[in-house]
This record gives sequence, structure tokens and C-alpha cells, in this order.
Amino acid sequence: MTASLLKNPELQFGATTFFAKEHKGETCGSNGLPLTPNSIIIYGKAQKLKMLKHPNLCTYLDIIRGKHERTVIVSQYCGEPLSSYLGKERFSYDDIKKIAYKIFLALHYMHMKKIVHRSLSTENILVQENNNIKLFNYGLFYMTDNGKLVSFPIVQLSYAAPEVYLDGPNGSLSNPKVDVWSAGIILAELVLNKPLWQSLKVGQRIRKVLSLVQGNTSIFERIAREHNCYDIYLSVPSDLKQIIEVCLTIMPCDRPTVQIILKNEVFAQFKTAKESNRRKIYEPFEQFTIEELYHWWQLAGGDVLLELKKQGLIRSSPPILSLPQMVLIDGLILGQERNPATLYDSRIIQMPLEALYQRFEHISLNCYYPLIHVKSEILSNGNDSSYDAEQLPLVIREKDPEYQFHRVILLRRLLHGYPHTRDLIITESIKDIPPLLRGKIWAALLNVRGDYQEEYIKIDKETPTPTDRQIEVDIPRCHQYNELLSSSEGHRKLKRVLKAWIYKNSQYVYWQGLDSLTAPFLFLNFNDEAKAFACLSKFIPKYLHNFFLRDNSAVIHEYLAKFSQLIAFQDPVLANHLENINFIPELFAIPWFLTMFSHVFPLHKIFHLWDRLLLGDSSFPLHVGLSILTQLRDTLLASGFNECILLFSDLPEVDMEQCVNFSLETYSTTPKSITARTQQSEKCVYVTTMGIPAQDLNKEKFPRISVDDVVNLIRNDSERIIIIDIRNPTQYARSSAKGSINIPCSSITFGEVNIENVGMHSSLLKNNKDKIVVIIGTEETNLDLFPTFLIHCNIPKVCVLHGGFNSLLPVTPTILITQNQI
Amino acid sequence: MANRTSAAQRPNGSTQGKICQFKLVLLGESAVGKSSLVLRFVKGQFHEYQESTIGAAFLTQTVCLDDTTVKFEIWDTAGQERYHSLAPMYYRGAQAAIVVYDITNQDTFGRAKTWVKELQRQASPNIVIALAGNKQDLANKRMVEYEEAQAHADENGLLFMETSAKTAMNVNDIFLAIAKKLPKNEQTTGPGGSGQGRRLVEGDSGAKTAGNCCK
Ligand SMILES: Nc1nc2c(ncn2[C@@H]2O[C@H](COP(=O)(O)OP(=O)(O)OP(=O)(O)O)[C@@H](O)[C@H]2O)c(=O)[nH]1
Ligand SMILES: [Mg+2]
Repeated sequence: MTASLLKNPELQFGATTFFAKEHKGETCGSNGLPLTPNSIIIYGKAQKLKMLKHPNLCTYLDIIRGKHERTVIVSQYCGEPLSSYLGKERFSYDDIKKIAYKIFLALHYMHMKKIVHRSLSTENILVQENNNIKLFNYGLFYMTDNGKLVSFPIVQLSYAAPEVYLDGPNGSLSNPKVDVWSAGIILAELVLNKPLWQSLKVGQRIRKVLSLVQGNTSIFERIAREHNCYDIYLSVPSDLKQIIEVCLTIMPCDRPTVQIILKNEVFAQFKTAKESNRRKIYEPFEQFTIEELYHWWQLAGGDVLLELKKQGLIRSSPPILSLPQMVLIDGLILGQERNPATLYDSRIIQMPLEALYQRFEHISLNCYYPLIHVKSEILSNGNDSSYDAEQLPLVIREKDPEYQFHRVILLRRLLHGYPHTRDLIITESIKDIPPLLRGKIWAALLNVRGDYQEEYIKIDKETPTPTDRQIEVDIPRCHQYNELLSSSEGHRKLKRVLKAWIYKNSQYVYWQGLDSLTAPFLFLNFNDEAKAFACLSKFIPKYLHNFFLRDNSAVIHEYLAKFSQLIAFQDPVLANHLENINFIPELFAIPWFLTMFSHVFPLHKIFHLWDRLLLGDSSFPLHVGLSILTQLRDTLLASGFNECILLFSDLPEVDMEQCVNFSLETYSTTPKSITARTQQSEKCVYVTTMGIPAQDLNKEKFPRISVDDVVNLIRNDSERIIIIDIRNPTQYARSSAKGSINIPCSSITFGEVNIENVGMHSSLLKNNKDKIVVIIGTEETNLDLFPTFLIHCNIPKVCVLHGGFNSLLPVTPTILITQNQI
Repeated sequence: MANRTSAAQRPNGSTQGKICQFKLVLLGESAVGKSSLVLRFVKGQFHEYQESTIGAAFLTQTVCLDDTTVKFEIWDTAGQERYHSLAPMYYRGAQAAIVVYDITNQDTFGRAKTWVKELQRQASPNIVIALAGNKQDLANKRMVEYEEAQAHADENGLLFMETSAKTAMNVNDIFLAIAKKLPKNEQTTGPGGSGQGRRLVEGDSGAKTAGNCCK
């Protein structure tokens, strides 16, 4: 029953493969960098094809790079090639018109997207069970940069327009009208019900096509006569005949475009059917997409390369066989057989889906359409779609096909409802984010809305600026291990997004590192630059407010000061050690925070980190920094300055899931005001500096805590705090905070670092592990001696009430008491 | 504020020779190949897609010079002009500097000259400065003439070599030349602890970290 949902005849895919041209001789470009392999260029260009969505086009699913410049294209593949129908039962003229209409629709869509087919033939037009047709492999010419990146010609012998041949064997003519000609030939074949010039050899066929250029009678008529079908020619309805004839116009300039052909009367009858409307009604019931199916198939063990090997499309031959027999002194190579694999291989291998069908067989139907706003107990009980994997490690969950099935279905549905479902998306993202939908979910978490595309289009991304040089030297150094980002298309896009951001944010400037920061967004939205830009534009104000100011020293100093204070708060032992060896965050943490770690971690780690970051506020990164130090804590504690700094110059492997979990822990247990900054964009009551210069606050070793947080703790969580009032006993007796203890500052000798000096309360502090130690004094007196002393004594969680005792006075209902009352 | 000499450490049981430790800083326009030179010198590697440097990176390498072991503590700085304000933190207290430019780009040579001036004005007076014309492997795209750079080096008393991090040409040589020129007979020796961090922070105006504990 359920499997039938998966066993949709249109949801099938196959793969083809070919080799990109290898660079001969020169391996370095003019900038001294190695030339980008052609397969990488193809990889980058082909991404756009995945975006093409049309009922008459097979959807591109994936591009895979194999060894030695091999490229594998995975695409929807369903139905039978039109060529297999030729010579059998003749299509009715009405059917031919319908087919023609669909071919032209598909071509029109492609041409609008500036993609020329150039190899249209009956081989790559697939007829579905329901008689719909879909073009297959239509992007080859486009992805190979008009054929320049491969060593075989992209041409379908009998179908190529004369001007294609006249352009020469290495021609890369990309006039969309070549497709119109091919369509004309195909229609002629359908009408005559036979493939043209079938008995001829390659050279003869080309000559045939070229011979059509001579003479000025109807080409269709000449073709019909040549194939002994003049009688059929005469019987063709005039409207259809006319279409074929205009398609087969010799001069490209006189040949109509697809757009004009579609306006022809013949097709008027189909237009009323309003296919598009019907599709709109179906959409809400969409169970899943072919992209999702392909994703699950891979997770369930599907391996395209393996299938190609099994079917003999990928064969490895010993390298010695490809050595030339002789190389002349001037470099001429003799006796090297052309590797047949470098020719075009038109075979298509259908991918077997049985394993996936079986794997998903038991999944009940309602899981394909989970209820989102379930209020009814009965309904939610009946819906036992829960697949228990939540306890498994993240990396395993991401690879579990069934878990990803449920996650993808659910989150895709929620995304359809965005922005109304934003809260639900957040709730689900806390569990994890399915990799397939990460780009879209991030955009939702970042609150990207409105017409971001329109906005992006309006931005000038081309005019040269003085910043260009820096951007240009940074891009070829930015996450270049990644195929997408190292492709020419990737470079172009990254440059455009960066330029757009700088143009749009004239108050900011390009700092090295902005490239790394942009890379994850571009990678996830490679086909939607505008969205990458929109995400970046939301991300920076939220997490890196003012970091990209021309003079950002105030922001950076405050940030790093907060970082030091957070370390002292959570881990005074480590903080003291780092202070003793003068290992200050300025020396290692700038690239961490300026790029939100995107400069120090590879993409796959950044994803897991940012999955969480996006759910937190701008203080979260401080906790991530702390968490990294904590992972390396033992090494750091045992090392001197040089060893420590070396450790960070070449950051050792960091366990990202552990890092994230630890960050979350400190993030959720640290009162917000501890990490609040004056330079953050979020509003925070505490942020008033109360007249204390920011530099002075930055110098403090300990963090400050706001009145609100303290009051909150006293009222709701008094078990979690120790309040130490350091004013003199008289002041304390007159009025003090509930539950506070009095350790007058003046009673302590700070000379030696020994917690016993505190007196009777020393053991309370010594045994403290988790309680927050709030110091209450007055801003007028020397506030920092005592907390600094405590930190030096390795007492954790020490902070100072910002504004001192006086800030408690206006709190109502009061939390103050007079000691006399007791 | 100078190198530390000690005979106490004896790698591989060798008792002879002294060990000198020097702080060296690399300066120069972005993408001229500073990080690449350091990587070549320290690890003998070259990465075509060397990542850009943000802030600064730190590495160490030891070379042997007759009976002396010279340990370089190398600060590789970010080249982008904007990071300029951080530079003093790294070059203050440095005994040596390599100012790098890219021979295929005239502007980077201009920037190198500015760096030399700044070092002469603001760094330690005895600092040994070397000028490195990097990317010598791209000599066919040369925009800065060897003679021009040599003349500038002579005028300013700099060591000069054209180098290539890619082919390793002159990379060890330039560090060795610096090592030779550095004074190895001791004047001052900071007692105890690694002098490194301390020097750095002293240079850093004391404002940022010297903070509260001494108030
Ligand atoms: N051909 C050639 N390329 C080099 C050489 N040295 C460096 N490169 C390349 O030049 C680019 C920049 O090198 P980096 O070492 O990152 O430059 P940098 O001076 O550290 O740059 P910043 O960190 O931005 O200041 C990289 O792509 C290197 O591969 C060289 O000797 N020859
Ligand atoms: Mg660098």
C-alpha cells in the first residue's frame, strides 16, 4: 500500500557519465595558481540546472565528480525514448501536435533561462506512461560551457542545424534557434514515422544536412521525397506542415524563435487546458519530491558510481596502457591511442530503487502527511509516526534514511507554512536540522522574508571598487577544498555577494574574514545568490554588530574582554593560568569571533555549529569559544605561552557535537547580563554603563551581573546564588539583600592569594561549584579588589552587581531587609 | 628585551653550543605569500590554497648555525591594510622582520617600503630587517625589477633576496641570513619563564591587560 506512493513511475532517476577535457601542458594560470580542473568548472556550472523545474523537463538531481576528470550526471529518468516509437504505430496528427507543443514549451522555458539544448533528438525525449513527454540530458551543452570543457562534439548528427556544422568541429555556436531546427527534424520524423538518413554513415549524414542549404524548395518536402514519403507529406494538415517548415528554415535569422512558434494557431487548443492551474491544486498534496527520494536513496545505501561500475560504464584500465609509445623532443606525442572513454558515451543507467522501497515499506501512509497542528489526543495517538532515533548521535541521525524521511517530510511542510510556522520550525530545529533542507531552514531561522530577490537584483555588484583586489586575492583561498566554492561559478558568486554586501552597507567595510563568513551561506544557497545575501545580511547585525566598521577596535576589545570574563566566571583555574602566561584572546580569538569560527573550521563542522548558533543570541559564540578552550583545557594548563599559541595556529581536531553541547550548557546556565555588551544589537536592560567608561569595564577580570538577573535569582532560584555584601557592617545592618552575607572588604588582607583570608565564610566559597557568587558593593568604593581576589583563589562564578547596592533600592516589592528585624 | 641564551637545554644530549631565541615578524601586503613562506620554512610544504591570515598566526622553527641553535618565534601577520592597527603588537620587541612583496605586483613593493619605514621608526632600533621579493617562480610576469629592490635594500641596510615559497628557492636562505646577522653574544637575559608573552604585552601599552590586579 504505502510503497505505491514511492513507486511513482515519474520518480525514477538514472545517470550518464563523460570526461571533462584535461588541461594539456600548462598547469598554472597567470596568477600562479593551478588551473581549475574542467570537471570542477562543469560541477559549478551544472548546479544551475538543478533549479530548472518544468513538467516537460527531467529534473537534474546531482553532479558527481569521479576520478580523472570524470563527471557523472544524475537526473530524473522515466519513460521510453521517443525514438523507440518510430516505425511502429504511427502517432496521430493530433498527438504529434501535442508532442510538438510540449517540446516547444520545454525549449521555451530553457531559452528563457538562457540555456540552449543543442543536442535535441528523439533519443533524449522521453514519453511517459500518461503520454506526457520530458526532455532528458538537455543541459550538457550548457554545463560544458558550450562544449568547450569536453573533448567530444556536442551534436546529434541528423538533428543538428546546418549552421552548427558550418561553425566547424570545435564550434560553440549557442544560438537558441539551433534547437528550433532540431525540433523541426524531430517533427518530420514523427510525421513520416521513420528516423531520417538512417542508413547513412556519419560523414554522409553531415553532408546531407549541409546539402539542404542549397536549393530553395521546401526542406520538409525534399526530406519527404527523399524518404519516399511524398504521399504522407501531402496528407499532413497544413497547420502542422507549416510549423515543420518554419522550423526548417535555413537562415537562422529567418527561423522563428520558440516564443514565436508557440504563438501559432495550432497550439491554441492546448492553451485553454491551463495545465498550470491544475498543478496548483495538486501541490498541497505533494507527498515528497524526487530530490528527497534521491536523498533517501543515497542514505539507504544507493551509490551512483557503484551502479555505473556494475554496468560497465566506469572501467578502470591500468595507467600503463595510456602511455604514449614515443614522445618527440619538441613534445609531439606519437602512438597514443585515444582513450575511448574520452568520447561521448550516450548510455544511461537507471538506478535501482528496490532496496529503498523495501526499506520504507513499513512506513504507514499518514507519515507522508504528518499533522502539524494536532490538538486532538485521539488523532495524535493514532499517528505513531515517531521513529525513535533522537537519542542517537547527530552524525548517525543525519545518515539514517528513515529518520531523515520523517524529518524532511515534517520540516518541508513547516517551511511551506513559513513565516507563520516559524515558531514550529524553531522548535524542530532544536532537535536537529535535516541537511537536505538546511539552507531553507537557516533562512527561516534568520527571519529572511519579503522580496529578497528583488532587493538583491537592485544592488550594484559589478562596478569596480578599491576593495576588489582584496576580495580577489581572498576568494581563491576561501574553503577551496570544497568543489562548489572552488569552481569558477563559485568564485564569481562569492565575489558578487561580497560586493553586494559592501555596497548595501556603506557604513561597513570589507575585512578579511568576511569571505569565510559568507561561504557557508553561499554553499547552501548556491543556486539562490539572493538568499545567500539575505542570510548574510540578517546574520551580521545579529551576531557581528559593528564588527565590520572601519574602526572596529572598540567592538573587538569589548567582545574579547567579555570572553576573558566569561572564562574567569566559568573556569577561574584556566583563566588564571592563561593570565599568568599572558595568553590573551587578542592573540588567538580574533579570527574565531570575527568570522564566527568559519575561518577556523571546515564547512561540515560550521554547519553543525551554526545550526545551534542560529538558535541562540549574540552571546552564544562566547560560549563556543569557551567550549573550545575547555576541550583543550588539559593541554593548555600543562603548556607555556609558545605551546599554547602554537596549538591555536593549527587548531587540533575539535569534536563539534561535544563542543556544541558544552556551549549550550554554559549558555543556558549563565545569566544573560554576564555576557551582555554595550555593542550588541539586541536590547538589554543592563547595557547602560552607568557612567563607567567602557574601557574600565573591559579591564575588569570579572563579569558584571544586572539587578534584574540578581533579583530574578533571589526570587526564583535562591539556591543558585551566594550573595556577598562587601560594604561595612553598619551599612549592611541598616539594609541588605535577602539571604546575603556580609564580608566587609576592609576586613580582608589581599596580600597573599589564600581563600582562608576571607574568614568564617571561606569554606562556603571554597566548596562552591555551581552557585553564582554575586558581590554587592558600591560603585564609589574600590569594587574590584575582592572579586579579583576570589578569582585568583580559583572561586568559580564570581560576578559583581552592576550599579552596586544602590541599584537594589528601587526594586519593588523590595528584596531588602534590615538585620535588626531578624 | 632581547633574545634568551642558555646552554641548559641540550637536545639529543649535545652539550655544546648555545641556544638563542629570536622573535621574528613577517609583514607585507595581503597575498604576497607571507604565510606561504613561513609554511615552507617551518614545515617544508606549500599549499596553493593557503588560507588568508586573520589577526596573526604563530609558528616556531629552529635552525642550526655552526655551534649555535637559533630558535625563531615567528609571527605571521595579516596583510590587509585594515589589520594595520594590530601590527605593533607583533613587531614591538621583535629582533627580526621579513618584509615581503610580490615581484609580480608593483603596489606590494610600495607597501613593503612603507613597512620598512615604519619598522625603522617604531620597532626596536637594532632590528634586523630582510626584504623578500616573493613569487620568484613567476619571474616572467615580473613587475618589480631585481635591481630596483636591491638598490632600495642597500640604501636602507636591509638583507635582500628574491624567494619562492612555491619552489622553496631562497626560503631557508633568507632565514639563515637573518640568523647569521642577529647578535648571538648575550647582553640581557630575561630570567625565567618564556619571555615571549611578556614582551608582547608590554608592547601593547599595558592598558588592555595590566588592569585591575595592580591597582
Ligand atoms: N606562484 C607562487 N605563488 C605563491 C607563492 N607564495 C605564495 N603564493 C600564493 O599566493 C597566495 C597568497 O599567499 P599567502 O601565503 O596566503 O599570502 P599572505 O601574504 O600570507 O596573505 P595574507 O594572509 O592575506 O596577508 C596563495 O594562493 C599562495 O598559493 C610563490 O612563491 N609562488
Ligand atoms: Mg597569510
